[in-house]
Amino acid sequence: MSDLTPRLADYLAKQMPHASDVRVRDLDRIFGGASRETSRFVMSWTESGETHERRLILRRDPPGSLIDTDRKIEFAAYRAFHPTDVPVPEPLWLEENPAHLDYPFFIMEELAGFEASPQALFAPPFNAHLDAIAQRKWTILGEISKADPAALGLDTVMPLVEPGEAWRRELDYWEGELRGHAQEPQPIIEAVLRQLRRSPPPPPERLHVVHGDYRTGNFLFDGAGKIHAILDWEMAHLGDPLEDLAWGINPVWQWGQGLDRVGGLTNRAQAIAWWEAASGLRVDPDALRWWELFSCVKGQGIWVSGGAEYADGQNQDPVLGMSSWMMGNAQDRATLHLLGRLT
Amino acid sequence: MKPDPTRVLEHTMVALMGEIAPAVQPAYRQSSVSALGAMLLCVREEFDRAVARRVEENAAIRSLFVGGGRVIQEGSLRDRLLVAADETDPDLHVPALEARNQQLRALLVELHAAVEAVETPEARALDEAIWAELRAETDRRRLTLQAF
Repeated sequence: MSDLTPRLADYLAKQMPHASDVRVRDLDRIFGGASRETSRFVMSWTESGETHERRLILRRDPPGSLIDTDRKIEFAAYRAFHPTDVPVPEPLWLEENPAHLDYPFFIMEELAGFEASPQALFAPPFNAHLDAIAQRKWTILGEISKADPAALGLDTVMPLVEPGEAWRRELDYWEGELRGHAQEPQPIIEAVLRQLRRSPPPPPERLHVVHGDYRTGNFLFDGAGKIHAILDWEMAHLGDPLEDLAWGINPVWQWGQGLDRVGGLTNRAQAIAWWEAASGLRVDPDALRWWELFSCVKGQGIWVSGGAEYADGQNQDPVLGMSSWMMGNAQDRATLHLLGRLT
Repeated sequence: MKPDPTRVLEHTMVALMGEIAPAVQPAYRQSSVSALGAMLLCVREEFDRAVARRVEENAAIRSLFVGGGRVIQEGSLRDRLLVAADETDPDLHVPALEARNQQLRALLVELHAAVEAVETPEARALDEAIWAELRAETDRRRLTLQAF
């Protein structure tokens, strides 16, 4: 990472023509970024005779990742929700020219001093506030679902789809990812794919903003039960809001806290009630079940894609190999659970 | 082969996670070394069961194909099911077992789809048997480190 430091400083200096003595220090990659290389750093500069410092995050495209995503869309999602009732870091610069840092990237503010890891969340002192975190988590998702994509300007950035075709677009995409990357047959997910095709869900009344990876592990929290930022918008798109709800309550995201605690935080009925209250929407149980099974297809698509990239040597981050082994199997178990076949 | 490869993997994992990782900087590299140690623990578990789970699974799937031959009355799928049901695993090396396992599981996907379209009690019973085997497959592959 050290060779990136002067190049990053050069880039930032060009973005800040009124600043001088732009410097970068403490560039440090954060472990676990599955879709982009994520690093924190401190930028300092002089402007109008005063020295300033700011902690920032660099999100750089890696050569291979768990998820192939469009950084423009992720950046636009941060920009759309900053600042609103949906807390996100302030996005600052998007750069698609790989000449600067070898790969495209964007830079946003670092909200320092908070935690993101589920392991921390379920241990003292944070686990004393799980109810508050849960309510805030599902309320924020309701706010995302309630948002008007056009008012946020996202309808010009994210591909549009007829509401009645939202399910098909997502299913086609993730089926393609699965078929294109699976290194072994997937008989459980294949059975689910047939079931999903046989009985499509009813359409949403309109298109909604879908975060795409809304789960425990993708938000910053503090020790007082407050959520400070929703992160990892790399799979954001327009579609059916039940997609986000279903993804968040998928059993793979209970982090060992038990199948009766969705996201490891609260029971399923309570999570849905908070989401309904904040979004103003009502859940159709049959439609939600469709999206829950779809989440298993999407999840397995992610795990096999990462596993294929690890096997090909495109990206030898052990997270990819471990995810393919353990989350892939957990995803199959989650699918069996939803089908009532795990008992 | 002594020391046992499983013991070697255990020792290597302990060294990576307990001695080497704490001395590695920056934090990202330290976490990566720890993750590699955890991977070795998974490899150790898979090394132990690699042949057994494949032999067991291949036999279980072939048994389903016998039932499939009764539910699927004609066509190339039936022919392939019956051929596969009669096969054995003469080569117990893991790559050979794995290749055969993948062929069998791909054929199982075809059988499952075909059985779903047949509305007879025998087909329903076979469908249930296939789901029981799919549950067993996930159990055979489950790793101790998994949270779920």
